[in-house]
Amino acid sequence: MTKQPTHTCTPAGGTALQAWQPLTQQAVFRQLLHAFSYPGQIMALDCEDAMTHVLATLLDAEVSLADVHEQLDALAWQRLQARRQVVEQANFVLLDGSRPALCEPALGTLESPEGGATLILRVAQLGTGTPLALSGPGIASCTALSVSGLHSSWLQARQRWNVGFPLGVDLLLVDQQQLVALPRTTAVQFDVLGAD
Amino acid sequence: MNPLYTLPVDEPAYSFGFLDEYAKREVRRSILKAICIPGYQTPYASREMPMGRGFGTGGLQLTLALIGPGDTLKVIDQGADDSVNAVNLRHFVELTCPGVDTSEHTAEASLIQSRHRIPERPLEPSQVLVLQVPYPDPLVIVEASESRRKVMHGEGDYSRLLTKLYEDIVQFDEITIAHRYPTRINGHYVIDPSPIPRFDISKLHQSRALTLLGAGREKKIYAVPPYTNAAPLVFDDVPFRVEDFTDDDGHRRPCGRCASRESFLDEIIDDSGTRHWQCSDSDYCNEHLAQADTGERP
Repeated sequence: MTKQPTHTCTPAGGTALQAWQPLTQQAVFRQLLHAFSYPGQIMALDCEDAMTHVLATLLDAEVSLADVHEQLDALAWQRLQARRQVVEQANFVLLDGSRPALCEPALGTLESPEGGATLILRVAQLGTGTPLALSGPGIASCTALSVSGLHSSWLQARQRWNVGFPLGVDLLLVDQQQLVALPRTTAVQFDVLGAD
Repeated sequence: MNPLYTLPVDEPAYSFGFLDEYAKREVRRSILKAICIPGYQTPYASREMPMGRGFGTGGLQLTLALIGPGDTLKVIDQGADDSVNAVNLRHFVELTCPGVDTSEHTAEASLIQSRHRIPERPLEPSQVLVLQVPYPDPLVIVEASESRRKVMHGEGDYSRLLTKLYEDIVQFDEITIAHRYPTRINGHYVIDPSPIPRFDISKLHQSRALTLLGAGREKKIYAVPPYTNAAPLVFDDVPFRVEDFTDDDGHRRPCGRCASRESFLDEIIDDSGTRHWQCSDSDYCNEHLAQADTGERP
């Protein structure tokens, strides 16, 4: 598959604040757009902290965030301006993928399925580890994705949440520098992975 | 547009791409949800633009939320790059997005905003097609209430739309929807694919590129992701027909300019009343003509 034109997300004199620059966010958004269009394709961000870049690109005071595993510090909350919300009602849910899936995010309604939450899961490494077989819109026939540091209960929970299309949740897996998207339409075959 | 106008780029409130960052972020969130729910009309705020609604403000807001330095933009109006809507939108982006290139060549563009045509040249995964949409909801012809339409869409209940198509066949022996043909995306939602001709519907099916559709006045964004089924709504015994370009002898008419027999043709009637046919996609026509001149097979 042809590569996306390289969008660098480091403006001149990149600092810890680069995630909050409009042009960085534009570049990160294009990577997100490609990731959601082609589920399973790992997109590399030119930065050290993919999670903060993704949050800064997508969140502001208009949306709510649940930080279930308390991965954000007070300063990040202040910069994001997002409303704190319980996980059942949050638009975005930030999670640690290595811990088991014990929450019940919003799935949206039949009239407004966009109310289904976007789950942002931090994993150890994308591109290595447990192999998954993906198919669905955005995938020509079938594609493989390897993830390490994702508790297997997330895939089972995701299957349960997404059983009644158009309701469901959309997953975004991030490691240090990369991200990959699993929209609710993507079928993940995970019995290939055997015992986890 | 006032040719003497310059941008207030030194003012701190001025944003790259005209829209403020909050507006862009909201459009971006809606775009991602639209991709995750193929064909679903995702609502968004639709800001006031410095042009009238109905002149492509939905497509323009998508383009401005996507575009960044290093992008190459092509703007199409009914297949052509040089008609008034395309020229004005292109000028606006050139004015408000420093560092963005524009092009008339489909192959060079990373972003393509189009009014009512999909380019003849198949798009690549590195390209994004943005379509301007006047009326996003195909159910509006059978149901006036939006809240009821939302339930029908959610349930995938298009029986009343199929009844309309059936009544057309009974009354006219032909489905009378010419362009904006209702198309089912990924087996669930039926979309109004913007007023593209029927000829272009097949280009949405399993396309290699993402297609985004934006309706500014109706405040909706929806998407046809790449590698996704897009099937026109039809009956088993009445096959889907595209525009017919055969002449009286049963031959496919060629373009009067480049002689292509593959492309979508515009019918042009000149001052003497004679009919001519010519490619609607001007870039395709120019390329085809250039290839014919150099003796290459297109």
